[in-house]
Amino acid sequence: MSARSSAEARLAWLLCAPAMIAMLVVTAYPMLYALWLSLFRYDLRFPDLRRFVGLENYASVLSSEVWWQALVNTLMITVGSVAMELLLGFVFALVMHRAMLGRRLVRTSLLVPYGIITVVAAMSWRLAFDPTTGFVNALLGLEGPWLAERWSAFFVIILTEIWKTTPFMALLLLAGLTLVPEELLRAARVDGATAAQRFFKVTLPIMRPMVLVALLFRTLDAFRIFDTVFIQTRGAQGTGTVSIVGYDALVTRLNLGLGSAVSVLVFLCVVVIAALFVKGFGLDVPDRESP
Amino acid sequence: MPIRRSLRGILACAGAVVAMACAEQVPQTPRLHWYVFDEPSGAFAQAARRCAQRSGGRYEIGIRPLPADADQQREQLVRRLAAGDRDIDLIGMDVIWTAEFAQAGWVMPWKPDEADTVRDGRLGSAVASATYRSTLWAAPFTTNTQLLWYRTDRVEAVPDTWAEMIETAERLGREGTIQAQGERYEGLTVLFVSLLASAGGTVLGPDGDSVSLEDEPTRRALAVMHRLATSPAADPSLANAREDQARLAFESGGSSFMLNYPFVWPSAKANAAEVARHMGWARWPAVVSGKPSRVTIGGINIGIGAHSLFPELAFEAATCIVAEPHQRLAAALGGLPPTIAALYDDAQVRDRFPFADLLRETLRDGVQRPRTPFYADVSLAISHALHPMAEIDPDRDVTRLREAVRRALASEGLL
Amino acid sequence: MGSVAVVIYALIPVVWIVSLSLKPATDLGDRRLIPRVLSLEHYHAVFRDPQFSAALWNSAGIAGLSTVAAVLLGMLAAYAIARLEFPGRRVILAAALSIAMFPPVSIIGPLFDVWRSIGLYDTWAGLILPYMTFTLPLAIWTLSAFFREIPWELDKAARVDGATPLQAFVHVIAPLAAPGVFTAAILVFIFAWNDFLFAISLTSTNDARTVPAAIAFFTGSSRFEQPTGSIAAASVVVTVPIIVMVLAFQRRIVAGLTAGAVKG
Repeated sequence: MSARSSAEARLAWLLCAPAMIAMLVVTAYPMLYALWLSLFRYDLRFPDLRRFVGLENYASVLSSEVWWQALVNTLMITVGSVAMELLLGFVFALVMHRAMLGRRLVRTSLLVPYGIITVVAAMSWRLAFDPTTGFVNALLGLEGPWLAERWSAFFVIILTEIWKTTPFMALLLLAGLTLVPEELLRAARVDGATAAQRFFKVTLPIMRPMVLVALLFRTLDAFRIFDTVFIQTRGAQGTGTVSIVGYDALVTRLNLGLGSAVSVLVFLCVVVIAALFVKGFGLDVPDRESP
Repeated sequence: MPIRRSLRGILACAGAVVAMACAEQVPQTPRLHWYVFDEPSGAFAQAARRCAQRSGGRYEIGIRPLPADADQQREQLVRRLAAGDRDIDLIGMDVIWTAEFAQAGWVMPWKPDEADTVRDGRLGSAVASATYRSTLWAAPFTTNTQLLWYRTDRVEAVPDTWAEMIETAERLGREGTIQAQGERYEGLTVLFVSLLASAGGTVLGPDGDSVSLEDEPTRRALAVMHRLATSPAADPSLANAREDQARLAFESGGSSFMLNYPFVWPSAKANAAEVARHMGWARWPAVVSGKPSRVTIGGINIGIGAHSLFPELAFEAATCIVAEPHQRLAAALGGLPPTIAALYDDAQVRDRFPFADLLRETLRDGVQRPRTPFYADVSLAISHALHPMAEIDPDRDVTRLREAVRRALASEGLL
Repeated sequence: MGSVAVVIYALIPVVWIVSLSLKPATDLGDRRLIPRVLSLEHYHAVFRDPQFSAALWNSAGIAGLSTVAAVLLGMLAAYAIARLEFPGRRVILAAALSIAMFPPVSIIGPLFDVWRSIGLYDTWAGLILPYMTFTLPLAIWTLSAFFREIPWELDKAARVDGATPLQAFVHVIAPLAAPGVFTAAILVFIFAWNDFLFAISLTSTNDARTVPAAIAFFTGSSRFEQPTGSIAAASVVVTVPIIVMVLAFQRRIVAGLTAGAVKG
């Protein structure tokens, strides 16, 4: 390494150090401890009976139908909500970007759903869809119990998620939109490009890194969905997600070994998803601009 | 000599300072912390204040609130107790935690003399809920159980059995809905265990280590659940209903029967006066004609944290809190049924609970939920196996249930 | 007109929550979107509760400090990642990502034990540290993706035109970076403000309990009653600061290039 690049590297590490230290200090021990625990049979109520069992917990989880159904459910919820949110997020971002009249009102009101506490949002949607006391059935003239059947329950859960977190996508996409220089768009229009062409050929490529960050983080969060499902159905009717499985084992049954194994498996799934994004969609480490 | 004198002076000063510092560290009145949910009427807070006064300055009691939901309370308590928290002196324990906390060594057993004081005159089922392996682990404070509530303007003869009730409800058509708790949570376990006990069965064997679930009673209980869930008289969102939803639905007028705790009575009087005017109460329906129903009991017992800094004072404080005047307070202000049998004849209590005799009778025959340290697992197994009620197949599910409970007791695998 | 439709879509459930907070307890189950009768009883109850006001103060302080810390540290790291060449760039991004991927439920237990032993349990720092940690990945990724797209040559151009490095930074670079920075700030703040899991597990008294955790302590008039009205009222109150913050920051999320490219 030349002197210049090693000086640069030193500076870079210096700048990154505070963030890295903060992240490691808080999460390294818990993550490693969870990994360690997953190799034991350890029930918090019987601390003396703790013993090493190797990969037995993992075998137990992976051979359980409960886990696999939860995984399928989680994937369905993830794909369903993220896809819709990307679409809606773009719509919101464009509206927020272009809004002329009442710009402040539009931008602020679009972000409010994300600012509401998740458990409260889940609870109020649950109440809204309740056939006896909610307003949805009264408004639409329907009778059915939404949360008591599998597919309608999925609908309500995904709707709650979409409503709540589309602003997250929209915000990141809006920031991406601001990166697109007006002159470029003007030049394209002068060159005769249609709105669609301008969007796909000019806007989107410049926004790509932000789009992919938004998609990546939103997918990671969607995969670990917990609060909404817990409040609305407790994971019943075949809507259980992997986080609920982990919670049941870890917190309700105090089976730390099993629960930690579930958590590690969830982590591995998420790693796979992230790897897919990085490799498949071409999301890469932002390259340094050449001087 | 001057140096030695000044040295002596310095030492004397130093000694005085140290003495003062040590004096400062002598603890003032010991402060006991009572971890319990935030009781809305303030009855618990009053009881704590009174006991502190009665102690003549020997201790103070500070209430540390816990979350409102029982599962969340347990989550907070377990985490801290397992970490050896010395701040926890008194615990407002749900009855289903007794075996678990006792086994894990998180609460202290009551010594025979003190135990006798807090057992004296208490309802048998309440004492049983605080006992595990013949030792008392908590002082019975309040209790609770379900009754059958019905519309007196629609139902002439109170049904005796579940079959009768469902038939009557079906005959009433649109207004004949039955409200119960069918979501996949503790309430479903309560329903099943009550039905099972009413049919004469038990979940666990006498030692609490093996599965019982006798064939005939289990089948009967499952058949009732299936009949209820598939009946046109069932609320369409039964599979998602808890106590509060059932209450709200009953108060909105379209139901004729409800199985719920006594909290619905003052609520109906306050929120739905026309419904309350025609609201009657009766014993839970029987599963087998002629055999009185048995319902699970709930309630709060006061346990002593195992790592408390002031155990003797804590036992004293707990004994004071669960004494008669405070149980009367909890009943009159908070609507929490007392555990002292004699209080059911008390005028103030009977005023709050016009159904006091019925309550006492139901509590006398009350059934304990399975008393095992693995209760959380067992309850999860039961509610997961039996949800949704409409899909219960009595033949297939007896075996499924037995297997699920067996695995829960062995803490084996995901449930 | 698209904006109107979009705003309505976003606000209907908010209207529902507000209406729940204004309905008297008796009308909770009346199936109406708009309350028949307005009642401030839930707001009275919420503000009379001393726990709630303490929680508001805790939330404000903790979320504010977490945001400042996360954005600052994130900016430093993102600058290095976007502009400097050094081995280990990918490692840092991957490590940051993996922290954001671990299920929080299993982090809580060990973190609780560690915090208790070093005395951070039930303190502001005890919550600020995890909040900062769990939002740093998003902050770093967002900011570095953003910084990558900024044309840094403008900085040199400005200096060629005679501006000092500081002037160049303040007048050219900062406005370009502002949208990304304020976006990251809003996201971090909302995460810290609305988090429930860490708040309820790592606090025990009013010293550090934040609003989402305090809401879990609300009781209805009896053991089984859901205090829906109070919860709705509390969450309306709690959303107001978010609205204020967004109102203040959204001005900054505008096309920065039109501002900085004048010299160009």
